[in-house]
Amino acid sequence: MPDKKVSNYLKYAGLDIGSRATKFVVFDGEKVVHWASELTGYDPVSLSRKLMDGWLFDRIIATGYGRHLATPSIAPRYITEIKALVLGARFFYPECTAVIDIGGQDCKVIKINGKNGIPEFEMNDRCAAGSGKFLEVMAHTLGFSLQNFGREALQSPERLKITSTCTVFAESEVISLISKGIDRKSIAYAVHRSIADRMNVMIEKLNVSGRAVFTGGVARNDCMAALLRESLPELEVPDNPEIIGAVGAALEALKQ
Amino acid sequence: MAEKIGITTTIPVEIVLAAGFTPVDLNNIFITDSDPPALVRVAEQRGYPGNTCCWVKGMYGAVKKNPYINKIIAVTQGDCTNTLAMVETLQHNGMKIFPFAYPFDKDMTFLSDQMQKLAGALGTTIEAAEGKRQELINLRKKLQTLDRLTWEENVITGQENHYYLVSSSDFNQDPEKFEKEVDDFFSEIKERAPLKKNIRLGFAGVPPVLSDLYRFIEEKGARVVFNEVQRQFAMNPECDGLLGQYLSYTYPYDIKGRIEDIKREVKKRGVQGVIHYVQSFCHHQIEDIILRDSLDVPVLTLEGDKPGAMDARTRLRIESFIEML
Ligand code: SF4
Repeated sequence: MPDKKVSNYLKYAGLDIGSRATKFVVFDGEKVVHWASELTGYDPVSLSRKLMDGWLFDRIIATGYGRHLATPSIAPRYITEIKALVLGARFFYPECTAVIDIGGQDCKVIKINGKNGIPEFEMNDRCAAGSGKFLEVMAHTLGFSLQNFGREALQSPERLKITSTCTVFAESEVISLISKGIDRKSIAYAVHRSIADRMNVMIEKLNVSGRAVFTGGVARNDCMAALLRESLPELEVPDNPEIIGAVGAALEALKQ
Repeated sequence: MAEKIGITTTIPVEIVLAAGFTPVDLNNIFITDSDPPALVRVAEQRGYPGNTCCWVKGMYGAVKKNPYINKIIAVTQGDCTNTLAMVETLQHNGMKIFPFAYPFDKDMTFLSDQMQKLAGALGTTIEAAEGKRQELINLRKKLQTLDRLTWEENVITGQENHYYLVSSSDFNQDPEKFEKEVDDFFSEIKERAPLKKNIRLGFAGVPPVLSDLYRFIEEKGARVVFNEVQRQFAMNPECDGLLGQYLSYTYPYDIKGRIEDIKREVKKRGVQGVIHYVQSFCHHQIEDIILRDSLDVPVLTLEGDKPGAMDARTRLRIESFIEML
């Protein structure tokens, strides 16, 4: 890793203050030279400063749910996370057709080439179901770690379904399944399936096909990726799917 | 002072005026109330379900707050069944209801009969209403000019356009005073330089319950140059008589006519993207499918629920849409 104090070439930074995690990346015009991510917590501005501490860069752009908080004290400008995701995904996969993003509190599907070549998007943000938060609550209820949740779900002996789409109701449904003695891996699978079904509604609504990119922290979950691949077989998962928005912001900084 | 009569949506207001009543659009008194959410609560406390459109609840609350309204013209076809049920709860408590129906298939005889019936019930004639129409033509033409100044001369904001056009359902309860207000507005903007060149948006769907929508759009570098339903409320004055005027009004009939109108105006006004506003729990949400399929420009479907300022997610949607354009 290059010495963060020495700037002998231009560097650009992106700061993505998400509802759950804040991500900071430094980009040298060709590649990401540094990135860091931490839970956003209650003081995103101090956290952002901490993540940025010691890094030199020429320009920075903010994005994410907390983008306004960072502007102008930390970054002179911001872009929305939709634009940031498009820029970031296209950088790693220039041919990509769409971005499927599941973040902490919402999920989005962005079709890159919509009407008149302009990106079109669908967001589900009315409730926590279909978000990272939902997975987290369910993993906890079923006694799995968030990291292993997807892997365990993939080993489910049964292809079960849950009917509730609301986090609160789904939780009670899950509890009643546990009390019936159903294998918790099967219940885990059903939880993943319910999110995938929600995503599929948005994917179909926008008529997305081809090489889509799966971003956001939930993209690290193998079961989610596998289920989304049923409708999007060419789905790509970047190495660090949670920083794609921050990379997009850094790319915007570079453009300016 | 003339007796007031509530209306739940745009109806042939000329008949009401000819009969000597003052029309009061319940939507307008709800949304311009000093505390619209409180009016919604009035309905909820009465037992209106959480999953009922806030316009309906707000109208109910507005009637309760303004007890001088003891007669309502209710649109029983061409609007929504939620409104109808709302009116029934009022009727249950003694409200006098005059039904009025728009034919889904624009059947001329049907509409003509409905107008006759309403005129008769209110104690006037179609001829008298026709006379009122003539009196209002000048004002309607001014509203047409106001609309043209919005998109062609670019001197009027989306919010101003919305306000004047949406108010024309009842002319703010006083056509003369309203015309004066329009005249004053024209003098005010006479010297106004064209507004900054920005992204041109269209607004389709029922009027928004959100208070800061137009302002926010302008803050983000775009401007609404076409308000679909509001423009329809203002009516086309160059129609053939009262019947022709209410047949060319697109909103209460099938979606096809609305789409044709939107497409034509989008092209004419150089609209780059359309915000399709839908009210939570409103049947028009389903029509979004047809609208999205039919328009050639990008469409953002925006859902509003409670009256008041927009939440962060709604803002993000609008901001992203403008950024993409
Ligand atoms: S918004 Fe829809 S549901 Fe509400 S009053 Fe209007 S037409 Fe009826």
